[in-house]
Amino acid sequence: MTFRQFAYRNVVRNRRVYAAFFMASVFSVMVFFLYSMLLFHPTVEDRFIREFAVFGMGIAEIILYIFTVFFLFYSMRAFLQARSKEFGILLHLGMEKRQLNRLIFLETMFIGAASIGVGTTLGYIFSKFFFMIVREIVLLPALPLYLSWEPFALTIGAFLSLFIIISLVAPVFIKSGKVIDLIRGENEEQQEYTYSKFRGFLGVFLLLFSYTLAMFTSNTIVIRLFILLPPIVLLGTYYFFTDSVPLFYQKLRTFRKIYWKNYRLISISSGIIRLRENANMFFIVTIVSTIAFLSVGTLASLTSFASQYRAMNPLGLVYVSDMENVEEEKHITQLETELTEEEIGYSLTKLQVLQQHSSFSNSTVSILNVADVNRLAADLDDLAIELKQGEALFLPPSNSSFENLNERFVVTDLEESNVTVAIDGAYPYQLFPAYSVGRNAIVLNAVDYQRVQLSMVNRSPSYFNYYAFHIPEWQSTKDIGLSIQDTIVESFLIESNAGLSYAFDNPGLSYSIIRMTFSLLLFIGLLLAGVFFLATGSFIYFQLYTTLDQDKKKFDVLRRLGLTEQEMKKIINRQLIPQFFFPWGVALLHSSFAFLSLQVIWDALAEISIVKELTIVLIGFTCMQLLYFYLIRWRYLVHIRATD
Amino acid sequence: MEPIVKLTEITKIYESKVMKRALNRLSFTAMKGEFVAIMGPSGSGKTTLLNMISTTDLPTYGKIQIDGIDPEKLKKNELALFRRRHLGFVFQDIHLLDMLTAEENIVLPLTLDGLPVSEMEKRVANLASKLELQEILTKRPDELSGGQAQRTAIGRALIHQPKIVLADEPTGNLDSKSAKDVLELLSEINEVARTTIIMVTHDPIAASYCDRVLFIKDGEFFNEIYKDERRQTFYQRILNVLSLLGGHHDVSTVRLS
Repeated sequence: MTFRQFAYRNVVRNRRVYAAFFMASVFSVMVFFLYSMLLFHPTVEDRFIREFAVFGMGIAEIILYIFTVFFLFYSMRAFLQARSKEFGILLHLGMEKRQLNRLIFLETMFIGAASIGVGTTLGYIFSKFFFMIVREIVLLPALPLYLSWEPFALTIGAFLSLFIIISLVAPVFIKSGKVIDLIRGENEEQQEYTYSKFRGFLGVFLLLFSYTLAMFTSNTIVIRLFILLPPIVLLGTYYFFTDSVPLFYQKLRTFRKIYWKNYRLISISSGIIRLRENANMFFIVTIVSTIAFLSVGTLASLTSFASQYRAMNPLGLVYVSDMENVEEEKHITQLETELTEEEIGYSLTKLQVLQQHSSFSNSTVSILNVADVNRLAADLDDLAIELKQGEALFLPPSNSSFENLNERFVVTDLEESNVTVAIDGAYPYQLFPAYSVGRNAIVLNAVDYQRVQLSMVNRSPSYFNYYAFHIPEWQSTKDIGLSIQDTIVESFLIESNAGLSYAFDNPGLSYSIIRMTFSLLLFIGLLLAGVFFLATGSFIYFQLYTTLDQDKKKFDVLRRLGLTEQEMKKIINRQLIPQFFFPWGVALLHSSFAFLSLQVIWDALAEISIVKELTIVLIGFTCMQLLYFYLIRWRYLVHIRATD
Repeated sequence: MEPIVKLTEITKIYESKVMKRALNRLSFTAMKGEFVAIMGPSGSGKTTLLNMISTTDLPTYGKIQIDGIDPEKLKKNELALFRRRHLGFVFQDIHLLDMLTAEENIVLPLTLDGLPVSEMEKRVANLASKLELQEILTKRPDELSGGQAQRTAIGRALIHQPKIVLADEPTGNLDSKSAKDVLELLSEINEVARTTIIMVTHDPIAASYCDRVLFIKDGEFFNEIYKDERRQTFYQRILNVLSLLGGHHDVSTVRLS
């Protein structure tokens, strides 16, 4: 048996130990490879999509890489500590430290090479599938499978270097203490965990403080909170795990009525030990899960934004022309021709919006004719509204302002035309995109409207034309009016302050871009969350594995002392449940409060609710976590019950 | 006196890749209030025998009666409950739970049975004065000396006032002074509370504290001797049997005082 064979057999025969580590590595290699496949895809030609996809995937790859570094280091350390007895025997038998390092190097490289091989192979197998999903999301023409050396080189290069670094550094983790200590497997001195009361209370206080701020945040300070809160929460979480929880447990120990009851004596005291050993891990897992929840939740809420987009943009195309616009005729004809050529059905309503000065609000008010509005409403299947002379309605600039305006009654003079109207309530239907007619708009009876219109003939007229295209197949307008859009973008870019005398809005096009962006981000985020999720689970598994021998001994004694099988199961449950769900519950709490503040932003921006999407995301994570818990508990119980 | 432990023609065969006969048609009886030592060379089946008595292992053939029950007829759960109520254990490796203080280790068997806290506290106070544990009650196992730890473990074995205490090499890891303390403690418990003690040991000095020594070899009965007036002569007789027994022994060089 050569030295290399020895290392190889060590890995193969310990495969159960290495399984979780191997799986998580394979998965990160695979995801990394998939990202790279898209990164280097030769047929993605659309400049914008290409840039965007490359950007998104690039960021995702960097995050994934950094995370994998941490993950591998942590798992490697847990492994080597669990095997200290074995290393002790090898050293005792006369193996040099140098040889031991070489052994570890070889072992790690075996696993590394295997996971890179399996990961890229699986990645290549699944890349067609991956492309299909991406194509669906991004609405690209077919993305053919391709074979090129670049994604392979990137993945293999990145991970090979990672594994080499880790296997070179890993031996540091072996405590270079006395051989005898290694053989006895004596872990760190079992001393009482030291915690400070002050830090314990500080941790709880910091968390409560941040929660309160997040809960009662308002639109004005929310941005500042986004900078201020994360460090506070980070510190609070850390102290919470290292000091507050031990403090709580220690307090609990003094209540003998609670503590000296059945197996609680064992489960609470071993809970303290677990916490001491795992406080740092709990902290990491909490932060990683919080980030995963937050990113997926945010992305899901963006998708929800897209789905509510139609409700906010009921019109297919909108063209607004000021008085001095000379290209009005030309543009409208162009739009109509393009729509006809693309065989998209539409109906066009032209509304002349007059502008007057209102005596009541002392500002400019836009005035619409109820007849025009009713024509448009008929197209959108809304009912017609009747107004008597002298009556008027507010036209709410957005959905949320309806309630407020509907309760108001205002009598005002339109100063230029001397028309007096009583505005009673608001127009009930959402016909126009938010704020597209103006902040301050009213609908007038046809006669009143004409009086205003006539009064303008003598003076300088002030109005604009609003062309509302109602298009049932609103998503198919991606290619309509591109040249007009371009002139707008151009003038925006050269910042000609003179301004354009027209505005054009194509919700179909904007929607396709928004949808694609968000869906792609969500997809990237979900893949990342998948890696995080697998990795946090593996952390817990390794941690359990490192203390398996001690636990086994403990349960052997307890069984002898007369602990029943059910009690043992209950104790193990009480040990595992906190490990799985405690950091995770804290993460859930963190993200819920973060979303509370996020909702404030969304309220201000787009008036949409993200509760539904978030609930789905959180329930999804909970289910996966439960599954993981049962899987690992099953493995753990098998190990504990096994008698040598 | 009536027998409290009665094993009749016990045979234990371990079947794995290599079949091993650990006990062969061994019979053993312990009377109520007796202090018995079991001796024999390594691999003679001492620990297997103790496992049978402690109901953690069942014989392949033969009949067992412990305090009136037949472990083979009880379910696993009932056996666990039986152990926690009627048996006390002392181990060579002491096996105190690291995460508990000495006091908590002692009350462990009682908490499993859900006794009221006041009763538990009373019993701990009582035992602590008897075992001289008052000063170390709040300490953790790793802060205790070997002797203190074993005394704590004995406390754990006695707190529920078991009828039988099973000790597996209780002095194996102790220095001679602590070993002497522990043995005197055990014989005192045996005399005062009339608790039956069955102790597996390698150490002839430890065995000389007992009423009777059973010798086994290769899983079979070898010899049996009873104590006499003086421990010194009993010790000498034990040594004689051991030399007949052959096998490997760590005969203690410590002289008796």
